[in-house]
Amino acid sequence: MVCWKCHEGVQGPVCVGCGAIQPPRPDADYFDVLGLERRYHLDGRALEKAFRAVSRKVHPDRFTKRAAVERRMSLQWTATVNTARRVLKDPVTRAHYLATGKARPPERGGPQPDPDFLEEMFELQSEARSAPEAVRERVNTLRAELDQALEARFTAWEAGEGDLESVDLLLAHLRYLATAERLVDQS
Amino acid sequence: MANIGIDLGTTHSLVAVVLSGTARCLLDDDERSLLPSAVRYDLEGVPKAVGYPALDAAGEPDGVTFTSVKRFMGRSASDAKVAEEARRFGYDLATDDERMVRFKVGSRDITPIEVSSYILRMLHARAEECLFGRPGGAVITVPAYFDDAQRQATRDAARVAGIDVLRLLNEPTAAAIAYGLQDAKDGERVAVYDLGGGTFDVSILELDDGVFQVLSTAGDTSLGGDDFDQALATVLLAQAGITDPDGHTFRRAVRASEAAKRALTDAETATLVMEHDGTRIEAGIGRDDFERLIAPIVARTGAACSQALADADLAPGEIDQVVLVGGSTRVPYVRRFVGELFGRTPHAEMDPDKVVALGAAMQADILTGDSELQDDLLLLDVVPLSLGIETMGGIVERLIPRCSTIPASHSQTFTTHVDGQTAVDIHILQGERELVGDNRSLARFRLSGLPAMPAGIPRIKVQFMVDADGILRASAVEEFTGAVASLEVQPTYGLSDEEIEDMLEDAIDHAETDIDQRFLIEARIEAEQILHTLGKAMRDDGDLLIDDEGPTLERLMSELTESMKGTDRPRISDLSKQVDDASAAFAQRRIERDIDRALGGRSTDEVAQTLGLDA
Repeated sequence: MVCWKCHEGVQGPVCVGCGAIQPPRPDADYFDVLGLERRYHLDGRALEKAFRAVSRKVHPDRFTKRAAVERRMSLQWTATVNTARRVLKDPVTRAHYLATGKARPPERGGPQPDPDFLEEMFELQSEARSAPEAVRERVNTLRAELDQALEARFTAWEAGEGDLESVDLLLAHLRYLATAERLVDQS
Repeated sequence: MANIGIDLGTTHSLVAVVLSGTARCLLDDDERSLLPSAVRYDLEGVPKAVGYPALDAAGEPDGVTFTSVKRFMGRSASDAKVAEEARRFGYDLATDDERMVRFKVGSRDITPIEVSSYILRMLHARAEECLFGRPGGAVITVPAYFDDAQRQATRDAARVAGIDVLRLLNEPTAAAIAYGLQDAKDGERVAVYDLGGGTFDVSILELDDGVFQVLSTAGDTSLGGDDFDQALATVLLAQAGITDPDGHTFRRAVRASEAAKRALTDAETATLVMEHDGTRIEAGIGRDDFERLIAPIVARTGAACSQALADADLAPGEIDQVVLVGGSTRVPYVRRFVGELFGRTPHAEMDPDKVVALGAAMQADILTGDSELQDDLLLLDVVPLSLGIETMGGIVERLIPRCSTIPASHSQTFTTHVDGQTAVDIHILQGERELVGDNRSLARFRLSGLPAMPAGIPRIKVQFMVDADGILRASAVEEFTGAVASLEVQPTYGLSDEEIEDMLEDAIDHAETDIDQRFLIEARIEAEQILHTLGKAMRDDGDLLIDDEGPTLERLMSELTESMKGTDRPRISDLSKQVDDASAAFAQRRIERDIDRALGGRSTDEVAQTLGLDA
């Protein structure tokens, strides 16, 4: 990469030579933006450290004396950095991002849950309304199973074994389960 | 050019600046740092005074003094709470405008923005005087919990005052900077508890190597020390048997209560005293009674603290430091309450009235781009409330959740629900509730010029961008046709550009009359003093007048008295000086005689020797 302003080689968001902020890439990977390895297993403190380090470089407060174009780029950079942190902080959105490259599940479409799973969820949800204590245990067991499955998929993937195909289906199941959990907690 | 920091408070405002690396509050001519947030208008709606003189004139029948207007900033006139508060303060609301609060004085409608602009102008003028030149830009603080409309209103007030706003800064964040907490250990969590005159905020920050990251914030924009005063005032009035006080009476009761509240900071009991219909009303109050009275108000701050902790995903025990901000945190009960809530003694080393202004000045200095502080400090702030748009069935779809770090941007794609729809209304909302009606409506705009397509086909991408001030910009585009239909965001409760222009013109007109008026009054006061002092001297020591001094002085004095009835300021000043000059020798002789008398016959030379002076 070459700095748009001084034409010297540049790495990272800000040119070391002339201090100019580099144009943000609209399709930038959130892990790249924060300078983190693409991993599901991510230490929360490491994420915050990385987030603050990049913020220090690109924040609009650093560019008050610069030209309007650089101020605008700094604003876009910082907004992207903030989104990246938000998406990667929560394990579920992080998993979804790794599996699909999207920050959040689509409004419509997306993977269809297994018919068996759907049936169980409908059952759970209707029972949760009448006898929440009776289903609490089943919900907890399901939660442990799904969490474990997700964990196993990512552990394998990080070890270079297997891919993340159909992880989004697993995540869709988790969303259905979350709804049932809310119902149980509410009653 | 130095940048300044302004704390535009509910009851008081301050201005501060960083000089040689240190932040300090700027003082007025009487060496006071606080400027009461009060503006006096005459009965025609012409502004007359700002600050202490405005406060002193409150309750006089020849005009209206506006205080606590921050409570009305950016709020809607149709809000029932606004009408209730206006009634309590004795302000007449203009009823023909549903959108924005306007106070009626004579034939004029006065907005809270206009009132605030006079306060800002006064502070800006003070800075100009102290810095021997026009300041650069200003950082103005707002409660963290201020919504978009309230922030816009603050920006508008600064614009009307001709101030270049570099940044709106959240008050608790400013306080944390002022406390120099950037030296705290990495990962230290700080709670800033800010109970001012009219607003309450609590924010949880995490500090890391000079980065101040706000984790969460919560509060109440209509809760503060004013509520203590008003609760006390209600008790006082009830004891006096006044059931339905008018605005003036209520305000006198509030002032009496405020004095009693201050006294109770150190004393165990205090007396509330006020005049009513020529009689003196007294009521005694003990600290215990006072604490029982304010307990429910203070308890409301506890709920906001719990909310902020929950949003930051922290337990009270995980807070490492607690900082107190706002004059109301001087109340011992409040300190105890905060101490118990977080299980640790809060910081109170700095003057809680000045902390915010000092922090604002430091941030203003950082924004000059060549500050010594710049390398040490970075502030990462959050939006206080979620931002979203209305979707089918009156449900709010959140695009930017509360406590997102700013600047923040988010886009989402929506579609149409009716075949052949050629325009979409986009309704922007702020708040945490599911239903549109329970949230604050910020703005509506229309994406028009869509080609007719079946329902569900158009892809309308709505983009929100919250800038570093926490102010929202929204845009929408239909993706298939690429038709960037024209759109415009009109804040539902804000001022239009024309309104701001009008106010700017108004303000400039008034500024000139204001200044002329002030000089004239000052000249008259000075003349009055000279006449009074000299008149008394001529009666007491008339025998010291020599030659034709007596008749000359009398002639000049009557000319001066005559000139004071008019408005010719230079003539009043000129005559004052002539009287002063002509009486100088007489005054000298009087001083000598006074000294002689005081010494009981010893000569002035002797005295000078005893005092170690050369005669």
